[in-house]
Amino acid sequence: MNKQNKIAVDTGLKVVLQELEENPYRKFKIAFSLMSIIPFLVFFYLLVSRLFTMEILASDIGIVLSIAIFISLCGFFVGYSVIKNILNKIVLYAVQAKHSDELKSTFVASVSHELKNPLSAIKTNLFNVMQGLVGSVNEEQKRILQLCDNIIERMKYLVNDLLDLHKIEAGMVEAKRKLCNLLEVLEKQIKEFEIMLNKKRIKFIREVLDKGLSVWADEDKITLVVNNLLSNAIKYTPEGGNVTLKICPADGLVRLEFINSGEHIPSDKLEKIFDKFERLDYTKEGTGLGLAITKDIVELHKGKIWAENVPEQGNKFVVVLPCDLRRIKR
Amino acid sequence: MEEKKPKKILIVEDEQELISSLTTLFKSGGYLTLAAYDALYGISLAHKENVDLIILDLGLPAGGGLYVLEHLKKSVMTNSIPVLVLTARQEKELEEKADRLGVEAYLHKPFDPKELLAKIKEILETK
Repeated sequence: MNKQNKIAVDTGLKVVLQELEENPYRKFKIAFSLMSIIPFLVFFYLLVSRLFTMEILASDIGIVLSIAIFISLCGFFVGYSVIKNILNKIVLYAVQAKHSDELKSTFVASVSHELKNPLSAIKTNLFNVMQGLVGSVNEEQKRILQLCDNIIERMKYLVNDLLDLHKIEAGMVEAKRKLCNLLEVLEKQIKEFEIMLNKKRIKFIREVLDKGLSVWADEDKITLVVNNLLSNAIKYTPEGGNVTLKICPADGLVRLEFINSGEHIPSDKLEKIFDKFERLDYTKEGTGLGLAITKDIVELHKGKIWAENVPEQGNKFVVVLPCDLRRIKR
Repeated sequence: MEEKKPKKILIVEDEQELISSLTTLFKSGGYLTLAAYDALYGISLAHKENVDLIILDLGLPAGGGLYVLEHLKKSVMTNSIPVLVLTARQEKELEEKADRLGVEAYLHKPFDPKELLAKIKEILETK
């Protein structure tokens, strides 16, 4: 069952349980059908103990047993109709939930698509004005135009992140796995952040226990995970601080730790920061979707991610991914 | 000495505002521009005008960008014109299909105008 179907069935189940909660008559029906098992068991026990002879019905307790059988049959009938009803409702609500999810998918995809075209036009026009292609621009005007361009860039990331997140959550993304060398992925990403690291005078420390460590994963998506976590670590590290990256194999798994010397994350936010639009510091750049996407990708790879505070250091994000069995060591 | 003829770029795009901003941008690079707002008109202009490069959107009315691309690459008159895809669509399958059909470059919207100009320069220089 893919994630989208699972969500649809869960939604159906939730609605049915809620309906049951609000309907005492149905609760009575369930209780009655469950309790009717008792007389049935008693009858069955007596039948077995008397070696399957129906003579017990003609004995002293015959009438009582007949009533017991009748109650059991009523209970079974009620139970059958209740279960049938519940299953029908689960299917109905699941279909409805899936349909509304498909509508949401189409909506998100078309909104993102429709936003990208005007964003392209705005961005190109801003560029034309900033370059002085349509008349001279003074420094102050250039500064203001640059601010607008930065906002467009943020919107671009937001639209892309929203689309990515929706695709992953709707189960529309499959991991195209291949064997990839984790260190190569990490080194490529570290290079991309060199300017940012130098700008903030951040000391980058690598602690790699196994240089040939490979994972059976979708390289593009793992690259996105590394990119998000590195960008986050650098963003929340003060100038002159440290960012440490630890990679170590651990019993068929690979463990990545992104440690930064920033502030501690409040304990009530350690789990919440992986929620959509949840941010620790709203003055920092970002869409608030990066960690939600990261978590989804890690889970798509059957891995785990969490955040924890490191005493006297800062905080760290830990990713544990299943390692490939055909591990290649260079 | 013979004066160097400016290169001609055909923009096949349904967003008029984007065409207008691209026209200004390309003018700054010394290029001439032509524009088509739908797939069929795009194919027709590509055949009629002697263009050096086609900027193609994939989400086009009257056929779609892939239809234009297939048509251009099948026709002997147009199959040597380099095509740069500029699209808001993110599907990897589309990109792979466009790649198989022989596009020179593939950029996602919203793109960086500087990067677009650099790509165009690179394509036209290697042509």
